[in-house]
Amino acid sequence: MTFVTPALLAGAFLVAVPLVLHLIMRQKPKRLEFPALRFVARRHETNQRRLRLRHLLLLLLRAAAIALLALALARPTLRWAGAMGSQEAPIAAVLVFDAAPRMQYRAENRTRLEAAQEFGLWLLGQLPRDSQIAVLNTRLGPSAFEVDLGSARDRVRRLDPVANSQSLPVVIEDALRLLSESDLPSREVYVFTDLSRAGWPDGEVARLQDRLTAVPGAAVFLIDVGVEQPSNYALGALRLSSQVLSSRGTLQVETALHRMGEAGERTVEVVLADSEGQQQRRSQQTVAVEADGSQRVEFRLGGLEVGAHQGEVRIAGQDALAEDDVRYFTVEVQPPWNILVAAPDPADAYALYLTEALAPSMFRKRGQARFACQVTSLDSLSDRLAGDWSAVCLVDPGPMEPAVWKRLAEFASEGRGVAVFLGRNAAAVDSFNESQAQAILPAPLLRQARRPGGDVYFAPADYQHPVTAAFRGQADAVPWSAFPVFRYWQLADLAADASVVVPFSDGAPALIERPVGDGRAMTLTTPVSDRPHRNPWNLLPVGEAWPFLILANELAAYLVGSSEEQLNYVAGQTAALRLDPAQRRSRYTLSTPGKLKLPVTPDLNRNVLLVSATDEPGNYRVQAGGREGFDRGFSVNLAPQQTELRRIGEEQLRRIFGPMPFQLARDRKQLEGKQREARVGRELFTPLMLMLIVVLGAEHLVSNRFYRE
Amino acid sequence: MPSAERYLKPEVVNQIKRLDLRAQFIVRGFLQGLHASPFHGFSVEFSEHRRYTPGDDPKDIDWLVYAKTDKYYVKKFEAETNITGYLVMDLSRSMGYTYRQELTKFDYSICLAAALAYLMIHQQDPVGLLTFDRKLRGSLAPRSRRSHLGDLLSLLARLKPEGETDIAASLIQVAAMLKHASLVMVFSDLLAEPDAVLESLYRLRHGGHDVIVFHILDEAEVRFPFGGMVELEDPEDHRKLAIDADGFRRDYLAEVDAFRERYRRECVQARIDYVPLDTSMQFDRALMEYLVNRSARG
Repeated sequence: MTFVTPALLAGAFLVAVPLVLHLIMRQKPKRLEFPALRFVARRHETNQRRLRLRHLLLLLLRAAAIALLALALARPTLRWAGAMGSQEAPIAAVLVFDAAPRMQYRAENRTRLEAAQEFGLWLLGQLPRDSQIAVLNTRLGPSAFEVDLGSARDRVRRLDPVANSQSLPVVIEDALRLLSESDLPSREVYVFTDLSRAGWPDGEVARLQDRLTAVPGAAVFLIDVGVEQPSNYALGALRLSSQVLSSRGTLQVETALHRMGEAGERTVEVVLADSEGQQQRRSQQTVAVEADGSQRVEFRLGGLEVGAHQGEVRIAGQDALAEDDVRYFTVEVQPPWNILVAAPDPADAYALYLTEALAPSMFRKRGQARFACQVTSLDSLSDRLAGDWSAVCLVDPGPMEPAVWKRLAEFASEGRGVAVFLGRNAAAVDSFNESQAQAILPAPLLRQARRPGGDVYFAPADYQHPVTAAFRGQADAVPWSAFPVFRYWQLADLAADASVVVPFSDGAPALIERPVGDGRAMTLTTPVSDRPHRNPWNLLPVGEAWPFLILANELAAYLVGSSEEQLNYVAGQTAALRLDPAQRRSRYTLSTPGKLKLPVTPDLNRNVLLVSATDEPGNYRVQAGGREGFDRGFSVNLAPQQTELRRIGEEQLRRIFGPMPFQLARDRKQLEGKQREARVGRELFTPLMLMLIVVLGAEHLVSNRFYRE
Repeated sequence: MPSAERYLKPEVVNQIKRLDLRAQFIVRGFLQGLHASPFHGFSVEFSEHRRYTPGDDPKDIDWLVYAKTDKYYVKKFEAETNITGYLVMDLSRSMGYTYRQELTKFDYSICLAAALAYLMIHQQDPVGLLTFDRKLRGSLAPRSRRSHLGDLLSLLARLKPEGETDIAASLIQVAAMLKHASLVMVFSDLLAEPDAVLESLYRLRHGGHDVIVFHILDEAEVRFPFGGMVELEDPEDHRKLAIDADGFRRDYLAEVDAFRERYRRECVQARIDYVPLDTSMQFDRALMEYLVNRSARG
């Protein structure tokens, strides 16, 4: 508590006046002769007592009135840390602008960002002279105080939406760090936000609180430029059945139409660019969606030719936020991958389960199989390796020459895949434990583990690996226990670079990955070739074996490198395109969605083309070597939370800021009030005057009642 | 001033220094205000004739006798019933008090007594005077002659209110002294223990006397017009009390009213006429009281 005019507090001594009047003045009553004193005497006692009480009450009221008046005139203010007691003292101020794409929401014919800019420019004009000002937005980048007001204004004017916007707590933290460097005692952070919940992710809140307590006295003003009840249609993130398809496969595109506001109906369409770059509508659906609900939308696109295909899913028509009405995608269609399956004789019979899983005969006939499998005997493996294979699978291999293992290692290190399905033929473990074989295998083989009870089965711990990612959606529904494993190879300690992809339910490794050069080797410690009636090691490929089907396909896709290829990115991620070492060039041209053409230089050592300028959502194209040359692409989408408009409640904000106070303002007047409170403290003049009026009124009432004629 | 009624006002009467004139003024003003002569219908009887002398009322000239004798004779009348009146004056010091009026309580009593004396003698009722403080001090035997008025008024004018008083004892003395049934008119502020005073009044009444109590208080004693802190002193026993007058007024007025109300109630029961007066009131109220009493006995 401080006082604007503390000298006036001395007025409180005037409290003595009624006291003196009460104590001294009454010593001199007027002397009068009065014969009817008997009437006075009779009531004197009771009257005196009552009067004394009334006098005391009046005295108290009058003293209180004087004290209150003195106190009010001294203008006390309640003040907290950082309050300077003056509106004019220079301050250190950081203006934080939320520049997320959702700030492009249009209301009253301007976007939220424009509203924030206007507010910000006004605020800059209001800041005291010689204040230190910084203007931050949610774009990742360095922060510093501006040299002067003019440059701060410029910066506010130049604000534009940021596709990969950071969350506000991170930027506020940045602002607080900046403020802690300032030597000015009064520090303020102004956050211009639409108060969308997506801007305040839970994970970053704790750190913000730490920082808030580390910069005491910093006042945080949240300036709400949002719309109370936004109305919007939005598309959810796209889910593609695969980013790399084999030719004549079907592309499944799945998304959701989200609605904020009343129930409604929208047409969702899929557009694909043809070879000329012209957009062709391929499919459309009219989707009804409930109020504040969402509706799943699914498209199937077939007949895609070999090559890169780019397209978009979009909502027809306009709404207040255009940014989330379109989602982009890129897929590549490739000819089927060639896979060499090597097995002991009779090779076809051994490999049957695997080849049927990867390329079912029905698909093969129709030419729809993703993989083209060639079966060969293990004996002729080293001869056949020279062919154009994307991967090699060894089904229950027996002992092999070290030279063959060496060839396999070379094959893998060129960026291709080798899979080894260990089985009963591996009984001669010495051959497998030789150094050449151990370049492929993850660990020396120890012994066969027997689990005749049927209580051991595949038990994937998580579904993060690309091989198991396909199960992620229905992880709980996969009946792994219906496919028991009776026997498997126990391994010694895994090599340092090997990792378990899928363990057994007893914890032993089942599927192990090991990188080999640019490629990879996968080892399954139980075979996939045992027939059920001949004392099988497991029942994986038997019966309703859809988990095995999926696992085998994903494994193959992973081996050939298709599941690894990412063609769809979130804004801000660095896009990486793998280059064929045989056809690489020194310069590529990147076409951005904004029709800019930029030269890109590849990383020739790693055979990869990295594009980090992915701030703009849309379809990017990378080309080189003219019409017949390199032509690929990728898509960049906004992260769904960047366009999430659901608002955060004041209660939640309070939780985020914890014990630190923050001021929420919606308009200029509100902000000015809160600023005054933060800088000067809360003036108690008005409540004191109100109390004074009440006391005076009571005094008047009481005295009137006592001395009524 | 269009009428003589103004002479009924104490402040006007105060300007007239001679008490006989005062009494005359009061009574004249009073009578003029009445619509009918208060004497009309009094049962009076012819007593004798006497020679007219200038100054006699020509209306009393007996014209029948003039016709027979060619001389002016006036008729003399005598009231059939005579009431002997006693004016009983309280000489206590408290009677000499006024706060802001022209007349003290005592002056007011004197004026009133003089007017009543004038009125009574005018009707040939004998009127006497008794004064008391702690006991009876002076007395003037009742007479109805006109010359008696002069004696009575001069005696009244000489009275001074000083000293303590014992109303009850004095009235008992009066009761013992009066032999015949009389009209006893008490002029007092009655500032004493009411029980004893009432007892003495009953005693008077019991003696067959008609009693009129003119309870005369000062206007300030009735209205309590003081403000702020005051220290009040009783002039008789010099007791002092400091009070906040503003805060006390209500209590005081309630007390005075209760006091007067008690006298009124007890007097009505005893068939005593109780006339509460204060020094700001006109005299006619008191005079009217006397006349009503007089006619009731007539």
